Amino acid sequence: MKIKAVVTLGLFGVLTAIVAAKPALTERVKHEVQDRLRAARTERTPGDGAQARVDWPRDSPPRPLPARPVTFPPYEIRKLSNGMQVVLVSQNEQPAISVRMIIRAGAAHDPKGKHGLALLTATLLDQGAGKRSAEDIAETIDFIGGVLGTGAGTDMSYINAVVMKDSYEIALDLISDVAQRPTFAPEEIERQRAQALSALKVAAGDPESVAGRVIDRLIYGFHPYGMPGAGTAESLTALTRADFVDFHKQHFVPNNALLAVVGDISAAEAMAGLEKHFGAWQPGAVPSLAITEAPEATRRVIVIDKKDSVQTEIRVGHIAIPRKHPDYEAIDQAVKILGGEGANRLQQVLRSQKQLTYGASADLNTYKRAGAVIAETDTQTPNTAEALRVVVDEFTRLQRERVHDGELEGAQDYMVGHFPLTIEVPDAIATQVLNQLFYELPVEDLPRYRERLLKVTPDEIQRVARWFIRPAQLSVVLVGDADKFVNSLKGVGFGNYERIPIERLDLMSADFLKR
Amino acid sequence: MKKLSILLLVVLAAAVAIFYVPLQAAVRPPKLDYQRLVLPNGMVVILHQDKSTPIVHVELWYHVGAKNEKPGRTGFAHFFEHLMFKGSRNVEPEQHTSIIASVGGQANAYTNEDTTVFWQTIPAQYLPLVMWMEADRMASLRIDEKAFIAEREVVKEERRMRIENPPFGLLNELITFHAFDVHPYKHPVIGSMTDLNAATIDDVRDFYKTYYVPENATMMVVGDFDVDTVTNLVNQYFGRVPKAAKPVPRDIPQEPVHTKERRVNLEQPWPLPAIVVAYQVPYNGHPDSYPMFVMSKTLSDGQTSRIYRKLVYETGLALSAFGSSSFLEQPGIFSAVALVNPGKSPDDVEKALIAEFDKLKTQGITERELQRAKNQFSRDYIVSRLSIKDKASQLGHGEVIQKDMASVDGEFDTFLKVSQDDVKRAAQKYFVPEGRLVMRIMPRGGVEQ
Repeated sequence: MKIKAVVTLGLFGVLTAIVAAKPALTERVKHEVQDRLRAARTERTPGDGAQARVDWPRDSPPRPLPARPVTFPPYEIRKLSNGMQVVLVSQNEQPAISVRMIIRAGAAHDPKGKHGLALLTATLLDQGAGKRSAEDIAETIDFIGGVLGTGAGTDMSYINAVVMKDSYEIALDLISDVAQRPTFAPEEIERQRAQALSALKVAAGDPESVAGRVIDRLIYGFHPYGMPGAGTAESLTALTRADFVDFHKQHFVPNNALLAVVGDISAAEAMAGLEKHFGAWQPGAVPSLAITEAPEATRRVIVIDKKDSVQTEIRVGHIAIPRKHPDYEAIDQAVKILGGEGANRLQQVLRSQKQLTYGASADLNTYKRAGAVIAETDTQTPNTAEALRVVVDEFTRLQRERVHDGELEGAQDYMVGHFPLTIEVPDAIATQVLNQLFYELPVEDLPRYRERLLKVTPDEIQRVARWFIRPAQLSVVLVGDADKFVNSLKGVGFGNYERIPIERLDLMSADFLKR
Repeated sequence: MKKLSILLLVVLAAAVAIFYVPLQAAVRPPKLDYQRLVLPNGMVVILHQDKSTPIVHVELWYHVGAKNEKPGRTGFAHFFEHLMFKGSRNVEPEQHTSIIASVGGQANAYTNEDTTVFWQTIPAQYLPLVMWMEADRMASLRIDEKAFIAEREVVKEERRMRIENPPFGLLNELITFHAFDVHPYKHPVIGSMTDLNAATIDDVRDFYKTYYVPENATMMVVGDFDVDTVTNLVNQYFGRVPKAAKPVPRDIPQEPVHTKERRVNLEQPWPLPAIVVAYQVPYNGHPDSYPMFVMSKTLSDGQTSRIYRKLVYETGLALSAFGSSSFLEQPGIFSAVALVNPGKSPDDVEKALIAEFDKLKTQGITERELQRAKNQFSRDYIVSRLSIKDKASQLGHGEVIQKDMASVDGEFDTFLKVSQDDVKRAAQKYFVPEGRLVMRIMPRGGVEQ
């Protein structure tokens, strides 16, 4: 048997998956492959060390076969009688159905001082709901061989289920209880609180997790996006049952939800089930989120000292744009050139040329109200300063130098060509549609992805890079064995840093130090 | 979105029947039809058509993994996998991945105990390009000392990143090191720093000549293609790769059945104590492996699983507790791991874990647990064949590890036939104290309360 275990389907993870669309690969792309290979061959010198077992021929790469057209697969967007938006993707290749619900409220909606509330609320949803205890829910879903998962991200909470096609009714019955009628039983609250506190302790010693939380806090400051979504020991301890009840009551209403039904079921059957289980769910007034502006980018370097680390986790970044922004496409492509799939200058320099790391990348994380560009890599302790310098230099290069035509074309070829890979499985199709709806972007853009993508030119990249990339105002986080690298930071222009022992890290304090 | 996760190791939830689900009406997945070709040079090619999206997945399995490494060369199979991206006669170093990316495709590779797998998913029209490149590196890899030495540093960073730096990163390595004496499953796939440093360019040449040969290769082609076209391409590009000079060695030292319980106490700089209980288990596909797998569902799949309920939900002894079975090509281990919650006793956790294994021997599993396990198995089975990459993986497993393509679909019924008696018998046979490893790994510097 070779079987992958089903793990909770973290919707917040897949929602950021590349969204791409285009009809068919052009002749331009085809010929480019040929050209690239030809160029590579002519540069090659004889006696290249090839270990042929036979007189292996020098060869031209074969031409591609005729391409079949690619179109965005069918889906439907409907509404229930109470206004809840529904996405349907019908496909019967495998006898499974997945049901996914998104609530438009996440850790960013944690009230001041109640960090961790959204996440712990989500965790408690399936620990007792309606007439069912936590055990009843678990037994019901496990017995039918289904999976039920709940969680929260920055801007959203979610409930996901995967069941076999004969268990759609059971899935809806469970989800409707879990979404509408969670119990928040005191003993379950205590149980989950204890687990969350214990998990915090583990995360506090994990360099990767620490680096991620500190860079968010540095970039976003005390804006909700900078706050620890998993909470702090103090905030988790202080949460009361009333907090969970209130959070749920305020945000879990059908007019604040999106729902998708995906897989081996007809649209009519899917809708009939949803109407039965969610039709009576009453809409409510959703409080608007009062959010301050994210702070301006400011240069600040934080060294988190963790003795005996063999590597340093490096994060470098600054504030960027929200998802819905007129320059999104150009900025996204600029960041892909810096460190994304299909391009990635950071990987080329840090791994291929210098062997400083196993992996380096840069991401444009865009949420509803703000976003950030963050580069990340890890390197063995003595190479910390060198790797940091390389990362910062690449930000500078992107801002100052015009992107070469071929480099941008390469990145675009990847994104355009990659589109059919992103619509293979029905859940991936639903993800793309949900993504558009969630960020209030036009779904009509999905099949037009190719046009939107290719519209970006090197001039465009240069224009956005000039205002958006700010090499002099980068936030830097280094988590590692500080004694073994801090002395070399000055030599690479980062002599000015704040050093925090990992045991004394406090995300809620302005200087990151626990008092 | 920023990812928040409350549990370090995902564990899912517990026991009253609410819905009646008809027992044997298990939803059946469709059959995975395939064609199997064998080239004159011994290479096997498995084809499965799926025209739902115009993409194709090509996966080349070399039947060589960490268990084939010579003593003193742990990590070499994986290191070699990296070197396969260093160019061949017609492809420049590092170009393989960038060429695939330039047409929108994805390419990567992985190494495990038994196999090394190179894969690419591409728009369907580029199938000839991929086959041409894979054949090129099978037949004419460039072996260059400078590239070899440089890439070693990347692999060492990979070891630091995956194993040495994260809390609990060393856990698996510690378990196998103490669970095996002679079988190479003892050693981590990534290898040790010492052994990586000891590897030479002659090792590279030797490994390439010995294992990267057509009779040791199986290629899965899954997706949107025309059978005649693929057949022609295979013959054209792979047909001309010559056979190896000598047969592929298959002599792996075998682990004896253990006769005495082993207890190991260690310290690591981890935030919580970890308790491990492990037993020897049969190879993947052994008749006993099916009831063992069913049993592993009852023990540790979902929030109703016994280990979760007892150690996490009911007693709060553990932050996280789970079982995992390494059903590999050769006999391996089943291990249960629990991370002890602050303030709880490692002794109690150890006793609770062992009690769960013992209970399986004396009481077996209930009829309802059996049915639940089978339903969970069916689900895993179905969601393990959603994408063309999933399907290629199933086909490769059937051919290379099971050595029985009929198992790809046939195993579904084998699982559904497992009985309560089968489970109890298997538990009694394998969960014996003399075959047990009990490990206790305490935080260095003591437990913080």
